[in-house]
Amino acid sequence: MGIPGRFHDGLSAAVHLVELDYERRGEEGTLIVRDAGQGSELARWPAAELYAVHAPKDVLRLAANRQPTGARVIVEGHKDIGRIMATLPVLHHKRRQETQRQVRIAVTATVALASVIVAYLFGVPVLAGRIAGLVPAAWEQSLGETVATQMEASLVESGGLPVCDPDPRSLANRALTRFGREALNGSGSPFELDIRVVRSDIPNAFAVPGGRIYFFSALLDRATSPDEFAGVLAHEIGHVVYRHGLEHLISTAGTGALIGFILGDMTGLSVAAGLGATLIDSRFSRVSELEADRYAASVAQRLDFNPAGLADLIGRVGEDDRFARALALFSTHPLTEDRKAALEILAAERPAGLEPPFSSAEWDAIRNMCGDPYLRSREQNK
Amino acid sequence: MVGEQGSGEPVQVVFSGSRRELGAILLRGYGLLVPTIGLYRFWLTSWRRRFYWSHTDIGGDRLEYTGNASQLLLGFLMALAVFVPLYGLFFYLSTLSTEAAFVGYGGIGIFIWFLVGYAIYRGRDFRLSRTLWRGIRFDQTGSAWGYAFRRFGWSVLMVFTGGLVYPFMAANLWRYRYRHSWYGDRQFSFAGSWRQLAWPYYTSYVAVLLIGGIGLVAGIGLDVWPGDGAQLNPAGFVPIAISALLCGLVALFYQSREVTRMFSSIELEAARLTVGVSARSLFWIYLLFTLGLTITVCLLLVGGLLVLGAVAGEAFAGGSFDMEAFLGNLRGSFATVAAIIAGYLLILGAFSLNREVFIRLGYWKLVAHGAVISGLDNLGGVQARDEDKALVGEGLADALNVGAY
Repeated sequence: MGIPGRFHDGLSAAVHLVELDYERRGEEGTLIVRDAGQGSELARWPAAELYAVHAPKDVLRLAANRQPTGARVIVEGHKDIGRIMATLPVLHHKRRQETQRQVRIAVTATVALASVIVAYLFGVPVLAGRIAGLVPAAWEQSLGETVATQMEASLVESGGLPVCDPDPRSLANRALTRFGREALNGSGSPFELDIRVVRSDIPNAFAVPGGRIYFFSALLDRATSPDEFAGVLAHEIGHVVYRHGLEHLISTAGTGALIGFILGDMTGLSVAAGLGATLIDSRFSRVSELEADRYAASVAQRLDFNPAGLADLIGRVGEDDRFARALALFSTHPLTEDRKAALEILAAERPAGLEPPFSSAEWDAIRNMCGDPYLRSREQNK
Repeated sequence: MVGEQGSGEPVQVVFSGSRRELGAILLRGYGLLVPTIGLYRFWLTSWRRRFYWSHTDIGGDRLEYTGNASQLLLGFLMALAVFVPLYGLFFYLSTLSTEAAFVGYGGIGIFIWFLVGYAIYRGRDFRLSRTLWRGIRFDQTGSAWGYAFRRFGWSVLMVFTGGLVYPFMAANLWRYRYRHSWYGDRQFSFAGSWRQLAWPYYTSYVAVLLIGGIGLVAGIGLDVWPGDGAQLNPAGFVPIAISALLCGLVALFYQSREVTRMFSSIELEAARLTVGVSARSLFWIYLLFTLGLTITVCLLLVGGLLVLGAVAGEAFAGGSFDMEAFLGNLRGSFATVAAIIAGYLLILGAFSLNREVFIRLGYWKLVAHGAVISGLDNLGGVQARDEDKALVGEGLADALNVGAY
């Protein structure tokens, strides 16, 4: 007596109620499908060609190679399935093979993706630098204009970014231009620096792509020595030389694409995408900060100022607290004490007898570019 | 031929899958998503579909999902070819002047909205052509670009008519989808029209306008938007929340009518599908989802607090939470980042588990249990068509996160 089942021949939608028999001839076995009513033979499937396709636990669905793709033999019930599985150990074997194949694909794909991520993390600072190097300087300058316009527009409520001393012939501006020229000397940078000391209550300084540097009056007021001022300025010039602004734009775009790929959401709007991108981008940003610090130290080999002063000034305006420490992986800047330690090592072997970056008259002029800080703060309090 | 349905009685669709089984598949899948950096999602999708398909029994024969994860993975990689240039464009635009970037982003947003139509149709094509019943495959013809244009055109009209054109759009898109669907060598037909949707839609439309309007007026009356110098009154949110809830109920009522009437318009030669879905059962699905989500999130919060208490006990000393002590306890960045990521993944997992187990499974069960097919035994003569090998995965559908089973 055969095992009862259902048979689809894969050619028409007819359902046949069948009985299944197994015939063994030497090494080779064959599954024979017979119509349950008439007993006529509907199909003969060699055991070696059989495989089970996915079905719920109490159902067995058999298919076979070299048969119509939709052809199936279906058996339901624990006992009957057990009998078939005992007769056809090849089914177990093939199922295991298929599982192994899927595991192999998944592992290979995961390893490939992991290496893409690793290559990305280590390769992008290099690659973005290379790509940035290919971008024409004029294009980067026009990009910088856009960034500066957007920045000024966003600050329009607090008065925009008014330049304190618009006269390029003034003592202070000439000193800044000279410092810029000397700092840029030998770097091969295609840009002309445009250093602007602007009036703002925010203690900050930044370089936009294309050579423009903003130095905010609030940061200038907090500088206690020309070393600190020159250090921060040389650091920003380092960003210009390495074209970090453009590099950062390129790497941010790349990170967005990568995170989108991992999460399968190319629109990249989800929280996870934002979190992941922030983690990676801020790592790149910390790398660029250290690079700019090293550039400032290299400028200090030619001009007499202590580059570690830049860490002092930055540390004074933004004290690292426990919160900053706990979230350091999200921060775009390295921790101040780490920077200071690194800069002090770089500053240790400076040659003696260098020119100071600014004469004391020039330093006084720079400090007073935005008016006397004491008078200004009294005016604001009125 | 099979004897048991020879009488020509209408056949009830049976669904035998349980929440517990689906939940186990999902939990295992979520666990594997972590070590595979998210790539397991293609396998998870395949397992989920196998669950839905294989537990759906029509006239004694189950559906079979014949697709596999490698096809989905390959399709996704091909979709990347569309997105990499788009990304480049995005990048370029972000470097332009503010106005140009704004216009450019808008343009890309509209283009993506258009692509979603393409993705929906291709995804449906993939699923249908990987669905086997009684040894014969389903399929979909028609043009995915055509569908995308159609859907896009309708959505523009929707905006200009304030949603009044919806019944025409819905009937038109349902018709396009089903008239291009095949079972073996037979083509589906679709008898539905906008007339069947007009009455429930426009009454719901008016009801939502009225309820929403009353809720807003009542809210403004209670000073929810304070005028000059007035204090915000939180009580003003009560009528707004109540009216939003009532609008949700109206939307469920309309959805139940649309599903019932449109599914019941599907025919395959002599075989006819009839589906009955009630608004009450739809409401029940969302209620269960809300309850399930609330309970899971509460459990996660309690668990999270217990873990935090064990790791950073001092922060909770004295009955109040001390942020400084807590951060000091995290001992540097990696612990913080790990905690944030773990918390985020758990919340995300809880949400998607509840949505799948209550909303998607609930909806599938509801339609299956409400479905009756008459004239099924006339389909014995349907012949197989050639294999549809042109399709590789769902590509864009996965890349754009177009959700469907």
